[in-house]
Amino acid sequence: MASHGTRKPTFTEGMLMQRRTFLKLLGAATGLGVGHFSPLGQALAEEANAGHFFVCIHASGGWDVTLWADPRNEKLGLVSPASTENTDTGVIRRWVDAPLDGDTRTFALVKPAGSNIVFGPGIGELGDMASRLTVVNGLAMNTVSHPDGTAFSATGRHLVGGRVPGSSIDTLFANEFGLTQTFPLVSVQFPSSYVGDNLDRRAVPLTIGSVGTLSRTLTRSTLYDSDAERDKVTALLGKQARELAAESAYPDVMQGMALQYDALRAMLGGKLQDVFSVGGLQKAQPQFNYKARFASGTAVNMAFAIEAMKRNVVRCVSFAQGGFDTHNANYKTQALVQQDLFDAVAQFVRTLDETPHPTLRGKKLADTTHILVMSDFCRTPQINTGGGRDHYPNNSALVISPRFKGNFVFGKSDKEQLLPAHAKRFADGDRAIAPPDLLATMLSAVSVNPRKYLRDGEVVPELLKV
Amino acid sequence: MRALAATTFVYTALVACGPPSVVHPESAPALSAASRVAMDTAPKEDLRLVPPEAYMRSYLQWFGALAPADVQKRAKGADGNQLFDSWDDYLSAMGFPDYRNDLPRAQQTNAIMVATFERLAIALCDRAVEHDLKSLPVTPMAERAVFAFENQEPMTEAAFAPRFDVLHRTFLGYPATLAPGPVSRSHIYYGLFSEVVAARQKSKAKARFTPTEAAWAAVCYGLARHPETHLY
Repeated sequence: MASHGTRKPTFTEGMLMQRRTFLKLLGAATGLGVGHFSPLGQALAEEANAGHFFVCIHASGGWDVTLWADPRNEKLGLVSPASTENTDTGVIRRWVDAPLDGDTRTFALVKPAGSNIVFGPGIGELGDMASRLTVVNGLAMNTVSHPDGTAFSATGRHLVGGRVPGSSIDTLFANEFGLTQTFPLVSVQFPSSYVGDNLDRRAVPLTIGSVGTLSRTLTRSTLYDSDAERDKVTALLGKQARELAAESAYPDVMQGMALQYDALRAMLGGKLQDVFSVGGLQKAQPQFNYKARFASGTAVNMAFAIEAMKRNVVRCVSFAQGGFDTHNANYKTQALVQQDLFDAVAQFVRTLDETPHPTLRGKKLADTTHILVMSDFCRTPQINTGGGRDHYPNNSALVISPRFKGNFVFGKSDKEQLLPAHAKRFADGDRAIAPPDLLATMLSAVSVNPRKYLRDGEVVPELLKV
Repeated sequence: MRALAATTFVYTALVACGPPSVVHPESAPALSAASRVAMDTAPKEDLRLVPPEAYMRSYLQWFGALAPADVQKRAKGADGNQLFDSWDDYLSAMGFPDYRNDLPRAQQTNAIMVATFERLAIALCDRAVEHDLKSLPVTPMAERAVFAFENQEPMTEAAFAPRFDVLHRTFLGYPATLAPGPVSRSHIYYGLFSEVVAARQKSKAKARFTPTEAAWAAVCYGLARHPETHLY
């Protein structure tokens, strides 16, 4: 648990205060005879959720859950655990040898002090923050295709043909809470999608290949044209777009473009380009490990997220880290890829703990930031002939949120085949938890009615703090 | 009674065995109009984003039909003025798909895409002013990339209109006089032109362009970034 100093509330106190305010507001709404998702309840909830931030991270390629969230260190059924034969163990700090088969060693399970969660060694430094973590295991993916698994994890819908039929969770957060921000949603190689009629055009993900693109895209030379001239042109184009929208039978797209011209004026007026250059971010947030073998880009993205949240110019930041698709001998680095990612997440959470909230006095960013870490699917329990693991229709996910129960694991996979097992009785019967359920729960945690956006999925109250 | 039955039988037999009745075709009378409505020519689909490949191909064409690497080199220039970085910096923001990461092409514009279009359009127009209007000896009309007309100072609205039409046809593909909107588009852009000229004449800041050159650049990137350039 992070300390916030002597005179300020601790993280837990902050959470309780915030939750108290939130419950008070919801209680008032209920007392007035309005439902949790009624317009009045919604308005009160919006107030309670003001100033919240969202960070979505995609472990791109499909991670091996047996090395972190759903650890396996015994040969049982199909399961061949990671071992000294197939893993570079020297660089894995939490790897402690345990007997497996003759000279071959596997890892000892990792259970940090005070933790209810048992991890694999890939969890890295994040294992020390178990009290903050909500782990969801046995997510039923029903796919082993990268694009489909990615879309399912991010939107709760499988692909229809090659098309993503739903909006991704980051877009939904941006639509609900980010429309007035300069950057409602910055998406760095995250599988963000914007689909549907009930969304505002300002929530269209700002998709970029790297954070550096943001800075370069906003850089303007002043030798040829002046800021005032460019601003005049942008204002004129916004007006043109509005006039064209007024004459159009389908004005949405034109109106959206008018809003985007306005947003551009705000971005350029904010002089953010120097702050968001890679060099500028590294200087401003030196605590991240920019030399991590697999997470150097992740470190820059996290530094960007912190700086953008500090300035209150963003609502949601989503990004991806690659390196998890280890079919062959590259499986040797799977544990390291995980360790790099989770070390970065741990540093991110520590930074959130220390960074004051830009608008809520006495709060830290950690008090209002919700983090989701997910992947395409998991990898096979058996090692293939190439020494790696292939795609498997099970998955795990990680949530770090002030509204979710910490130190908590929900869902499970079966012991011998690593397939999703029944987690509880849902409205449609006993079944495993699936991505739509997790996404619905995340929306519900910030008082958004999941049915407004999601076709499937049931809120899992067990995951939420009471 | 018997006579009646016999008569009925004979009559029935005659009718049943007689020649078939013939209906002669004739034209139906014209229906009278109940009301008149105009034909609905409104598009039944919302505007779509021009695919990034099509935009980039157009951009290369506006730049003088050069190869992408040549455009990048010419747009960057050798003066280090940050008019352009590299195509790699813009591809994701322009909406290109990323098959390495299974990311589909962008279907909608967004604010960063609009910022990228601005950056690209400014690079195009500033370099075009240098090439077409500023270079010495004067670039022959046939070799001009964008400004295929002679500049004139001072620029009256009457003189502006045909020149603006050249740019309008280049970037938007149709005559300026047909542009929708309550006010003539040429008049709107002449307003922009005049404001830039007036501001430059007042300003003491060091600049590469004369007031009219800067104004033409502004009009140029006001069209190269126009919503109609990016949506169809």
